[in-house]
Parts: sequence; C-alpha cells; structure tokens
Amino acid sequence: MTVNNMADPRRPNKIFRYKAPNTETNPTLEDPTPDYMNLLGMIFSMCGLMLKLKWCAWIAVYCSFISFANSRSSEDTKQMMSSFMLSISAVVMSYLQNPQPMSPPW
Amino acid sequence: MRHLLFLLPALLVLLALPDTRGRYNDDFDDGEDIAEFDDNDFAEFEDVSEDPAVDVEKEPPPRAAPSSTPVEDDEDEATVENEDGQDEFEDADGQDQDMYSKYDNEEFEGYEKSNPSFKDTLIYREVPAHLQNSWESYYMEILMVTGLLAYIMNYIIGKNKNSRLAQAWFNSHRELLESNFALVGDDGTSKEATSTGKLNQENEHIYNLWCSGRVCCEGMLIQLKFLKRQDLLNVLARMMRPACDQVQVKVTLNDEDMDTFVFAVGSRKAMARMQKEMQDLSEFCGDKPKSGSKYGLSDSLSILSEMGEVTDGVMDSKMVNYLTSHADKIESIHFSDQFSGPKVMQEEGQPLKLPETKKTLLFTFNVPGMGNTSPKDMDSLFPLMNMVIYSIDKVKKLRLNREGKLKADRNRARVEENFLKQTHAQRQEAAQTRREEKKRAEKERIMNEEDPERQRRLEEASQRRDQKKIEKKQMKMKQIKVKAM
Repeated sequence: MTVNNMADPRRPNKIFRYKAPNTETNPTLEDPTPDYMNLLGMIFSMCGLMLKLKWCAWIAVYCSFISFANSRSSEDTKQMMSSFMLSISAVVMSYLQNPQPMSPPW
Repeated sequence: MRHLLFLLPALLVLLALPDTRGRYNDDFDDGEDIAEFDDNDFAEFEDVSEDPAVDVEKEPPPRAAPSSTPVEDDEDEATVENEDGQDEFEDADGQDQDMYSKYDNEEFEGYEKSNPSFKDTLIYREVPAHLQNSWESYYMEILMVTGLLAYIMNYIIGKNKNSRLAQAWFNSHRELLESNFALVGDDGTSKEATSTGKLNQENEHIYNLWCSGRVCCEGMLIQLKFLKRQDLLNVLARMMRPACDQVQVKVTLNDEDMDTFVFAVGSRKAMARMQKEMQDLSEFCGDKPKSGSKYGLSDSLSILSEMGEVTDGVMDSKMVNYLTSHADKIESIHFSDQFSGPKVMQEEGQPLKLPETKKTLLFTFNVPGMGNTSPKDMDSLFPLMNMVIYSIDKVKKLRLNREGKLKADRNRARVEENFLKQTHAQRQEAAQTRREEKKRAEKERIMNEEDPERQRRLEEASQRRDQKKIEKKQMKMKQIKVKAM
C-alpha cells in the first residue's frame, strides 16, 4: 500500500553509537607519514646540532612542517610542537655557532 | 674557493684579537710607518718598508697555494708590529701628531712616489661572506625561508579547499540523510545519542559521518577521503601521478538484514586488486572477474560473485541503470556477509582463529574532476547516494533459493575447514602449552601449601585425575579400534 511506501524508514530505537574503527587490528589503514616525518625531523635536528650542519637543520624544519600537515587531529599537539621547536633550535644554534651563510653543495 | 678556506682561520684569529682588527684594516700602512719612524727617526722610511711589501706581494701571483703562508706570516708580522707600534704610540701620542705635521710634505712626497709600484701588485682579497654587510650572500637561506612560506601558503589554501568540498558534499546530501536516518553525525563522545548534524574532521583531508537509526541496517559510515591538498609534497607528487578524491560508504547490517552471499562489482583494476587483497573475495570468489557487458553494463566494469544466482539477484534493472549512468564515478561496490577487511599479514604463522566477520555493504566512489574538483562536482554524487539507499533496501529483500543457500553454506563450511586444517598444528601446540601451564601451576600450588596434610591430599587428588585421564584415553583408543573392526 502507498502508506508503506511513504513510511518513514527512520527508527530512533535502532540507533547505534559511533565506534571509531580499531586501528590495532588494521594497521594498514593508518597513514604512517606523520610518524615517520616526526622521527626524521628529530634525527635531522640532532645531526644539525651535533655535527653543526646547517642543511640538516633546515631539512629538520621542513620535516616537522610536513609531519604537522599530515597529522591526525586526534594526535597530541605537544609532540608536534616539541619536534618543531627542536628543529627551530637546531637552525638557530647552527647559525649562532657559525654565522657564515650556507654554501650550496655544487 | 680554496683561498677563502685558507683565509678563514687566519681571519678568525685576527677577529679574536680585539683591538688590532680596526687598526689592521685601516691603519696597516700607518702602523708600519709609525714603527719604522720610531726606530729611525729621521730616516726615509719608504725604501725600507717598500721592499718587503713589494716582495711579499710579488710572490702570490706565480704560486697560488703556497702564497697563503707568506701572506699569513706577513699578517702575523703585521699584528706583532702593530702591537709594538700601538704601545709606543700610546706613550707618545701628542708628539707623533706634531711630528706628522712637521714632516708632512716630505713624508708624503716619498709616499706618492712609492704608490705606482704598490698599485701594480695590489691584490684585492675577498672579504668572507659573513663579514660583508649584504643580504645577497645569504641567498640559500632566503631560498629556504621562501620554500617554507610557500609550504605554509599551500597548507592554508589546501585546507580551505578540502573544507569547502566537504561542506558542499554535506549540504547537498544532508536532506537525503536526515530523511533516512534518525541519527546523522555522531562522534561517539557525547553521552546522549543526538545528531551533531555536521561532519567529523579526522584530518585535514579525511572527514567522517556516522548515520544510524534506520530499518534494514545497523549504521552507515561515510568517509570523504580527499587528496592531501594541504601537503605541498603530495601536491607535487600528484602532478606526476594524478589521483582523485574518494567517497567511501560502509553500511553495516544486522544478521537478519542480509542473506549469505559475497558479491562485488567495479572497475576492472579495482576488482583485480580487491580479489587479491580482500579476505572474503579471495576465499569465496575464486574465479576471475567477469566482464560487466554480460549483464548490460559497460565493459569497463567487471563482476566478482560467489555464484551466478547472486549476480542475477543483485543486477536488477534499476541497479543496472544506476551503474551504467554513473560508471565513471564507481570505483567498487562490495556486498558481503563475511566481510573482515583486507588480508592481514601474520608474522608468526596463521592466526589461531578466524577473523571476525560482519555483514557489510562497501561502496567506493570517485569524485569527478581527477583532483581539480570544485564544490559543484559534489552534487553529481547525489544519485550515487540514492543508489546506496536503494541497495540497502534491496539486500534486505534479496533471498537465495534453496539451492543457492545450500551452495553458500557448503562454501562457508569449506572455508572454515581449510582454515582449521592450516592452523591445526598451531592449535595443537597451543593446547599442549596450555596443558603444561596448568600442570605447572598446580604443582606450584601443591609446593606452596604449608600444611603437609593438605599437600599430601592435593597430590593424591592430582594423581587420581591424571590416572583418570589415562584411562579415558585408553577407552577411546579401544572404541576406535572396535569401530574400525
């Protein structure tokens, strides 16, 4: 009958709450980019600080930016900020120790 | 370049000596003159000072590398001389000035004469870049900062574009969703199940929407998987390899909402990939994907199905109509009662139990525009959402006949048996370890018992249990032997 056709398909009594998909069982679904970039950024900034290489420090800054752009909104901002600050400090320290401009590799 | 490298340490040494720097640059000749003047008050100094200076300067042109050392020595000498000159100069400051004015003309006469020879061999040393007061030498840094600024600009622009696309999609689909679902938009955190009425932003490029409260299904999760427009690296990578935004719809069903079958249709590439990747498709749909032209679809689509009856059931006229008119937007459509996601790679052998399955309808749509989408393109996805709703209702009504049901049940039993066989060895091992653990735990308990009386009793009880087990096993073996006979 027409009444059935026009019947409201909504059932408020059959509501299920949203459960975020468990990423432990499906590691392939997660994008590893922000984590890798974070790690890479930290390594490069350590290299830049210890070995006093300016280009390392600049790459670290880029890595931390890329990590931030790809990060999930649920991720801790503190970690992002810490890697960002570390890379900025690497750049600043490299220039304080050696104010000479960076020379290109060619 | 090498000149600069050799000069750097020398110049850094000079920089370390505080007072000589200014004087060194400005008063090199004067310092020397003043020192000579003190030693030989009325002597003509130009002859004495000219020769060493000329000698030094003549050396560098023929020999490039070794010139640095005499130059360095000269500079060291110059610093020593300067210091001496400085000490004496401080004492006789006023006197020297008067003497200067007195012998002004004579002094400068000789000095002028010596100038031409000086000019011939005058070599301009390059001042190292960081001592120059020009920004041009820092061009690499300026490049880096410009790159960073470009990245930030791209981030802001990309983020905004993705956000606008998501909002456009939601605006065009909101009415349909609200008329079909009691709960539209839920992030799972609020206490009561009320519709948030907006998308849940997971990332700068992924937006989720959970809808629930409908007949025939448990819930529907819509994921807007946009391209990473906020990441400049990704934008550049996409220039090499074009990709498009995707809308993924996953409808989870209750047990009574769907009969037991596995079916998939989509672009040929997607079907080939999914047959290898998806756990259920690889197990139940073993045959190669069939071309869609057999069922009235375009050739670009292919079908994976558990049995022919399922395909006939799903591909009714309305579905075929939907698929043909929107073939370019359909990446894949996957109906399955054994859906457990992609195959999980195990590190240590097979898992000990079958992965959990859930009755699911999975739709993946490509947004037209191949990356250059505008918010208006989102409206073109609206008929596809109608197709989703239609499919939900259809799957509820689709029932296999008796033959089909038997076949399906046999398939599932077969898959389970295969799985059990594969894991038989592992399960036996696991059972063995569990038994050993139990025994060990019991023995420990007996040992830990302080009361000797209790200890004896527990030991006796465990011995009796072991005896019973052995007897049972013997009985079983006897029975099997009897049956075999």
